[in-house]
Parts: sequence; C-alpha cells; structure tokens
Amino acid sequence: MNDRLLDFAIRYGFLILLIGLIVYFSLAAPGFFGPLSAAFVLQSVAITGILALGVTCTLVVGGFDLSIGAVATSALMLSAYSMVILEHPTPVAVMLCLGMGALVGFINGVLIVKFRVPDLLATLGMMFLLIGLQRIPTQGNSIAAGMMLPDGSVAEGTFSAAFLWLGRHRFDVVIDRLLPMPVVIFVAIAVLIWLFLGFTRHGRLMYAIGSNARAAALVGTPVNRYKIAAYMISGVTASIGGILLAARLGRGDIASGNNLLLDSVAAALIGFAVLGVARPNAFGTAIGALFVGILLQGMTMMNAPYYTQDFVKGAVLVAALVFTFYLSSRRTGTGH
Amino acid sequence: MLRRHFMAMASVASLALGAGAATAQEPPAPLDNPEDVTIALVRYLSTGDFFQAYLSGVETQADALGVNLRVLDSRQDAALQADMVDQAIALGVDGIIIQHGLTESMREAAQRAVDAGIKVVAFDVNVENEAIPQIEQSDYLLGKLALEQAIADNGDSFAAGYVYVPGIAPLDRRHVAWEEVKQANPGITEAARVGTLDNPIANANANQARAALQANPNISVFFAPFNEFAKGVKIAADELGLSGDLSIYSADVSTADIALMREPGSAWKATVATNPSVVGEVSVRALALMLTGEDPGASVVVPPTLITQTFLNDNDIRNMEDLGAKMPQFQHADVAVADWMALPAR
Amino acid sequence: MAGDALKVNGLQKSFGKNHVLRQIDLTLSPGSVTVLMGANGAGKSTLVKVICGHHRADGGTMTLAGSAFEPTDAADAIRKGVVTVHQSIDDGVIPDLDVANNLMLDSLVDRGHGLFVRERHLRAEAAKVAAAMGIDVNLRARVSDLAVADRQMIAIARAMARAPKVLILDEPTSSLSATEADRLFALIDRLRDQGVAILYISHRMSDIRRIADRIVVMRDGAISGVFDTDPLDYEAAVTAMLGHRMTDVDVAVQSGTKPVLELHDLQLFPNATPINLAAHDGEVVALVGLLGSGKSRLAEILFGITRPAQGQIRINGTGYAPRSVEDAIAQGVFMSPKDRGTNAVIPAFDIADNMTLPFLQGLSIGSFLRARQQRSRAQEMVHQLGIVCQSVGDGIDTLSGGNQQKVMIARWLLEPAKVLLLDEPFQGVDIGARRDIGHHIRASAPGRTTLVFLAEIDEALELADRIIVMNEGAIVGEHANQNIDLAALVADISGAKPIATGTAT
Repeated sequence: MNDRLLDFAIRYGFLILLIGLIVYFSLAAPGFFGPLSAAFVLQSVAITGILALGVTCTLVVGGFDLSIGAVATSALMLSAYSMVILEHPTPVAVMLCLGMGALVGFINGVLIVKFRVPDLLATLGMMFLLIGLQRIPTQGNSIAAGMMLPDGSVAEGTFSAAFLWLGRHRFDVVIDRLLPMPVVIFVAIAVLIWLFLGFTRHGRLMYAIGSNARAAALVGTPVNRYKIAAYMISGVTASIGGILLAARLGRGDIASGNNLLLDSVAAALIGFAVLGVARPNAFGTAIGALFVGILLQGMTMMNAPYYTQDFVKGAVLVAALVFTFYLSSRRTGTGH
Repeated sequence: MLRRHFMAMASVASLALGAGAATAQEPPAPLDNPEDVTIALVRYLSTGDFFQAYLSGVETQADALGVNLRVLDSRQDAALQADMVDQAIALGVDGIIIQHGLTESMREAAQRAVDAGIKVVAFDVNVENEAIPQIEQSDYLLGKLALEQAIADNGDSFAAGYVYVPGIAPLDRRHVAWEEVKQANPGITEAARVGTLDNPIANANANQARAALQANPNISVFFAPFNEFAKGVKIAADELGLSGDLSIYSADVSTADIALMREPGSAWKATVATNPSVVGEVSVRALALMLTGEDPGASVVVPPTLITQTFLNDNDIRNMEDLGAKMPQFQHADVAVADWMALPAR
Repeated sequence: MAGDALKVNGLQKSFGKNHVLRQIDLTLSPGSVTVLMGANGAGKSTLVKVICGHHRADGGTMTLAGSAFEPTDAADAIRKGVVTVHQSIDDGVIPDLDVANNLMLDSLVDRGHGLFVRERHLRAEAAKVAAAMGIDVNLRARVSDLAVADRQMIAIARAMARAPKVLILDEPTSSLSATEADRLFALIDRLRDQGVAILYISHRMSDIRRIADRIVVMRDGAISGVFDTDPLDYEAAVTAMLGHRMTDVDVAVQSGTKPVLELHDLQLFPNATPINLAAHDGEVVALVGLLGSGKSRLAEILFGITRPAQGQIRINGTGYAPRSVEDAIAQGVFMSPKDRGTNAVIPAFDIADNMTLPFLQGLSIGSFLRARQQRSRAQEMVHQLGIVCQSVGDGIDTLSGGNQQKVMIARWLLEPAKVLLLDEPFQGVDIGARRDIGHHIRASAPGRTTLVFLAEIDEALELADRIIVMNEGAIVGEHANQNIDLAALVADISGAKPIATGTAT
C-alpha cells in the first residue's frame, strides 16, 4: 500500500502540484485564470521551451548542449544580418539560420564523437565561439533597419512582414488576436519531438545510447551517427528559437537571449521529474517549461518582486531534481 | 521655490513629514479613489544608479498619489519586456509606463495595451504611437550642453574619443549633438569610437576604452554621453595613469558619479543631467494626467542641468541631496503638474 | 595446529529459499596457501563475502587467531586483520593517482596524518613498501597507465600495508597473462614466507599447481573435497569440482555436415598462427581458453568490431568481411557479448525494449514502433526461456542476474541467425538459469551454427558438441564432447603438458 502510494506520488506528484498551483493562483490572483493570462504564460515559455526540447534530445543520448543559447542568439543576429544588410527575402534568411543551427550541431557532434572532447567542454567552447562570432560582422553592434554600416553607407534592408509574422502573428482563439505564432510553433515542435523520442525506433535507440552506449553499439546501433543527429536537432531547434526571437524583436539585438540557456536547461531538467520517469522526455520538458512560466506569472500577479524569480526557478529545479533522483531511487530500491 | 530642507527620494521621510504640498482640490476620477488604481512600470534597463534613482522617483510620486504600483523588470531582455506589457494587460492595470526598450519589439506590445484601453506613457523609447506621450529628458540637449562645456574648456580643436552604442534611442539622440558639433568644428576629430551595453556596463566599457586610449595617445577629450560609459572611461584613464591628460564629458549623474568627479585629479570634468528621480516623478504625473482625461502633450520634456567638477568642489557637494539643495533647478521640474495633484514631499 | 589463522565452523547462508552455503568448515593456517576451487555458482564468492564482512552469516561460527570473529562490515573485517583483494582490480586502486600515492593512500586516510603531504617523505616510504613487496615500477607513473598485473600488485601491496593475518585473493589471475601471473605468484610466495594465511580462489589449474599448499573444493554450497596430501591430487580435485554434473548432462552430440562458418588461415593478430576452422549447421562449438588466448579477439572479428590481420572468413560459401556491427547483423551474424552489465543491458529499459532492441526496424511501420507487436514477441520469448517476471513491461533491473541474462540471450534468438556468437553466456548466472539457457541454445541450434566462447571447462562440457581450445591466438586442441579426456583438455587450456599424476612440482 505504502509502495503504491509512493509510486503514485512519483508518477503524478508533479502534475498534481501544477494543477494545485493553477487552482491556488486562480483563487488568489484575480485575472490569473483567463485566456489572456494563459496566452501570456505560453508566450513567455515558447522560445525557452523550444530550446529545451532540443537540449532534451542531447540529454537523451547522454550528452549535453551548452551552446543552445549562443546558437539562438547567433540565429537572431544572422537573420538580421541576412535581411537588413544583405537584403535577403524571408525564406533565404530562415534557411540560412536553420542551416547554421544544423552545422553548429554537426560540428558539436563531430567534436564529441570523433575528437572525443567531453560534451560539456565541446559545447562550452562552441558557446564562446558563437558569442564572439556573431558580433564580428557588425563590430559588436546591434543590427537595426537603417543603421549606419562600418563603410559609412546605410543598411537598406528591413525585416520583411512575412518574417515578423513568424514572431508576432496572433491567431484568433476564444478572443481576437490571442494565440501568438511562437506558441503554435512551440506546441508543434513539442508534439514532433514527443512522437520522435517516444514512439519511433530512432528515439528508442537514442534512449538506449543514453542508458548504455556500449550495449547499444553491440546491437548494431550507429551510435556516433545518432549522437551527431541529436546535436543537430538541438542546433536546429535552437536556431528556430533564435528566428522567433528575431521576429519578435524586429532587430538584431546583441543584448537579448542571455537567459535562454539556463532557463531552457532548467526546463529540461525539471522535465525529468514529470511523470517520475527520471529521464529526459519531451512531454516532461514542455510541462517543465510551463510549470516555471505559470509559477512566475502567478507570483508576479501576487506582486512578488522581480528579483525573487531566479530564486524561485532555482528552488523548483532543486526540488525537481531531488524528486527525480531520491524518490525514484527509493522506488527501484523497494522494487527488488 | 527654495526650501531649506530638500528631501529627495526617501519615501520614509516623506511619510514622516506628511504630504508637504497639500492638495488644493479633490482629484478627479479615477484618482479620487487612488487605492483602486494600479499602474505598471515595465522596465528594460534596471542596473545602474540612474535607473535606481528613476525607480525611486516613480515610487515616491506613486506614493504621493496613493496609487498601486507594479514593477515589471525584464532585465534587458527585449522579448520579455514585450511579454511583460501583455502581462500587465492580463493583470488589468489602468496605466503603464514603458521605461526604455527597443522600438521594434515594443511598438506592437504598446499598441495592444492602447487597444485594451490602457493609458500608456513611454520614457526614453519611441514606440511610434500617437496615443502614447514621450517622456524625454531632452537627450539632444544633454549632449549639446556637455559638448559646449568641452569646447569651453578645451578649445575647438582636439582629438576625441567617443562612446556610442547605436540603436538605443537616447544615445542616438545624444549622438545627433555629437555629429553637429563635429560638423561645426572641423578641428574636433573622432580618433576612436568604443561602446557596449554588456553588463557590467562600466567594466565592459573600461576594457574597450583602455584599448582605445593605448592605441590613440593623442586623445585629450572623451565624450561618454551616459554615466556608466563615463565611469568606464574614467576607470581606463586611472589604470593607464592618464587622468591628468584627459577630460571626460558625460551625461547623467548619481551620488556615486559625484564622488568620482570629485576625486583629486579626476578626468571627469563635467556632466549634464536631468535628475532621474524627477524624470520618474514626471513619468507618473504624466500618466496620472492621462488617467483623468487630460492631455499631457505628445512629448513631455524634462530640462537638463550642467554640472561641472568645479561647481561640485566649490559647493562641497557630496551627494544628490546636496546637489538638489545647491541647484534647485535640478531638484524639481515644473512639468506635468496640476492643481489637484499631490507632489512628493520635499 | 598451534595457531590456526582463521577457522570457519558450520557456516550457513541463504538468500530467500536459496541455500547458498550449507555447513561450511574451513581452516586457514599461517604461512600456507589454501586454494578454494569451485564452478560458477558453487558458493565461493558468497563464502568470501561472509568472511570479509559483506554478508552476515545465518549460522555457524568463525574464529580469528583463537578469538570470535564476527565482522560487522568490510571495514571491521579489515581492522581485525582479514583483507580481501577483489576480482575487479580497480576497486583496489585509484587510477588517477601515481603509484607512490596509491601505495601510501591508507596512511593519508589515517587521521593521525598531518594536513600537508610531505612529498619526499611519502615517496621514500612508498619506495620502501615497493621494495619489500618486490614491485619494480616507476613510482611516479599513473596507475591507470600501468599494466593490469602491476595494478594488481599495487592493490595487493596496499592490502599488505595493513599487515593482515589473512589475505583473500579472489580470482587474481583472471585478467593476467601467463608471465604477469608468474610475477604475482612470486609475490604470493614472499607473503607465505612472511607467515600470512592466504585463501586463493581460482579454478585455473595452472595457478593451482603453481602455488597451492592445500586445495578445498566447493560444489553446490558445500565442501566436496579437501586435498592436502603431498603431492596434491589435482585430477581428483577437478572431478570433485565438476562432480556428478558431468554425467547429468546428456549432450547428444551433433557433428553436422554442412559447413556454415569457415575460417581460412585467419590471423587474429599480425604474425599469429593462422586459424582454420569449420562450424557446421546445427552444431554448437565451444571455444575455451584463458584471457589473452585470442577467443575474445575472434569473437570481435566475427562480429565486425575489429579486422583480422590476414585470412578469410566464409559464411555458406560466400566471403564475409563485416565492416561494422551493423553490417555483421545484416549478414546474419549475431553476438551476445560478455559482461552483460557493461555490454548488453540497457538499464533504463523494460524487458520488451531490451529484448527487441536489435530488431526494432522489423517491428516498426515507417519509423514508428508497433508497441503491441513488440510486446507480444517479447512475451513469446519470455515464455520459451522461462523468464520469471510479472510482465514484459517490468524494468530490466528488477530481474535477477539469471533472468537478465536470459533476456540478453533471447534478444538474439528473436530473428534467425546464420552464425550465433555467445561470449560467456553463463556469466553471473545461477545453476537453474544456466540449465535453461543451455537447453534453449541446444534446442534452437538447428538452422544456424553456434559458437560459444567460454573460460570454464564444465560449462563447455554441458553445452557443446565440440570443444576447441585456444591459446595465444591459435587453436591448440580440438575435442569432440564424447568420452572426453579431461586431463588432456585441461592441459591444452593451460598451455602445459598433460598432468601426469604423481609428478612432483
């Protein structure tokens, strides 16, 4: 009986807590429960959520990707550079960014599987490299339409309406212009990655690699190819995040995206605890991102000061990790 | 006009003294029941003395009016700042002050707030919206006055260093003054240009300024039209031992800046400032006018004041309170006021 | 005897219903090497774990130098003077520290040690220890860079630093080459002369002949023979170890006619003796040999992990040169690797996912897995092999070792193989599961050829139609599993002349 209770607590504890939070905030903070507030929460987690889904794929193969934040900001700068300075049309700019994300992921993967650089170090190096690289073409300046170029001419290009649409369009759901495009993309990517990791043989093999890479190799899994693929997925999703950020900002702002890495990694790690599976999973990551979003929204509405936010995020993360590792180990302990 | 005891930002003190300026009339609706009114301050920049002083100005004026204040701070995350406007809309606030930010990311969010029937004012960010008045500290004048002082001190022929980050509205407006001065004075050359808004701003700029000064030893004047920039240049000058040969002209001021300007042999010769807490007060007052249906005008300008190192030393000014006491035009701006409006106690 | 170092009386230990140790009596004398022999699952390691404090005994007594010995845990046993060097060497050394630091580690842990490490003093002390033990390695070398034998020596030297009364060595040569083992034996001789009582666990005849003063044989949790008359009767010991099980197993020997796998002048290493071998349809061939005999290498070559130096492989008459594991599997060569914990088990997965892992492609439409079919296939195998579980959705780590191994074997029986390679399929498996697995391998043998790589003779005798002995990369003997000459087989394996009874060592 006690075992079953523990099992139930591990499996559904986090979701129950989430529902509890929503009920509490709905009662305590007027205006929390409503479509506007829900759209805001989703909007606020959409871009970090997309990055978190990518990093989930690298966590699944037992890796880690610290470069996602830098890939996103690079995509942000690249899209601005492509449209404002090189005057490319939207599809070209988008394809450039996605290609850049895939390439960075490929290089990360090759560094890790071929050159045997530990994943944290390889992606950390890549992070610094990209942070520097993205500033070189503009000499460290933000890119805005009509800006002065280093050679003295004026940038003629602008962000096209189609590109801005990606970040700013709002669909009419319940009320007019409610659901922002990035949220739709976030949900779509979440569903895709959830299907891919959970229900395809590729996903299953990736989990096998993360759990025991040697054993996976000895059943004929091309381990290196899957690892590289995982980093490429991570790179591409991060670049999608960067594109959406650029479309929301409407300029290549070098100061934006500083918090992306930590927030998205936190969401992916909190995801371990959702459903008590103690391993990376797309559903958990999406819920993890949402959990943080709801908590912060509720707290803001209850008038908690902004500087408590990082503390709260950290507390949630630590609690989720304890939940994952301590309770789950107790469960397997009693299982014997 | 002149009072003996100027109590600037301390709201505790304002409570102790009571509302100094008693209200002549009952405020019009909805401010007759101010406890039912909520305004939100949506910030882009928040670290640094200027922004702290601005916030305290907003807080004291909001206190004086008796309205509720929500502070939403995006900490330089432009997308989050736009989200926060949506959040404020979801919160159902009556008015929003947008403090700094990027035109591109804030334009639509601001429009959504206006569409939701919320009164909005913007400080130091152009959101390109006719329904939203701009609170400005006349950045052009800030730059202009500082450069006039530089020419008065150094003549009209010198090699200058310049700190600039394009795309930030107030810096862009100060930049206009710089370009004009260069046009008008062919003897003034821009030998080096640096600038970054990376945190911590002062340190990041110190690194760049150090490199520029080493590469261009002929620089005798540095125009750093933002106090965090000036701090950075001063750090670089001190580290290189160039303080005696360099003059820094900047914009904005804080207690910490006063101390830096008054250090023996300090290169920081003058700054031009609008009291940031006054700007904060004006922002709230302009919003209050809008809430009661009055029109504060498309642009509300808070006039700046020149503050020189000599003036600070002559009057032994140690902090912003002293500065307010010796320089009344710095302490209060008669902008966006109404008979019925309670002002912070001084 | 004046002072028995350790005396064990009527020791009993059960795990659940499983009686692992029944009434064990054992005496260890100072200055003498007692070899403990026994097949896998005989209870050797449980006995060791009780003596060194890992397990508490259910019954019986132990005395150490005359006083009662009831270790509460491993540290307590060490404090009282019983030190064990376990099979996995790296438990006994810190790979990232150098030799000197490893040798002196215990004094660094000592609370009496000062805060600062006196480097010169430490090195001088370490040099003394090394000299006393006859260890000749660079004291500044990192342990991880040393050969296995040197690491083993250092682990033993560390154990000796505590001046134990009883030293237990658990299969210390299992990962050593013949020359490396000789150095270990020299060290053991030295310790014997110092008056240490040594319990040496092994079933390797070459070791036993070299160092045993006494042989104690265990079988099925009981002592089945004690041999201490000079000269030692090795053959009787082997028979006592294998026991009546030999006659228990009825291997109806299949010789097969159609060759499936053929090796032509295959050289495992450059300059190794070429191997020629044909394995037939329906035949189960056991390849036995010690570590370094080349049998693991052969398995790796056949499974596409490494390439041979020279020579050809044919399967059903056509050339076979796998480029990768994937390629080998595609060509119908499957391998269940040894050390399932590191090489086979996916701990995060349930039984069904573990079992079906190599053949997910056939169990999916497009890329999407057909979960129901996956489960039903796994369920079938669970049935056939008698895997004890509640459902195929159980986590693999909820199973016993034997059942886990059954899942790992079942993995490769899901699809028909041309060549099935089984590397140490009985590792860490209880007798019951071992019988089930052996039975199933033989029952399913027709239609493929099966190569089983084993270190234990008795396992080979239970399972194979033919036993091939390997040594130093070459085939040195071949025996059909019928009226087999055990002594000749043992001699082949250890690379020595056949044991002539009565020859003095």
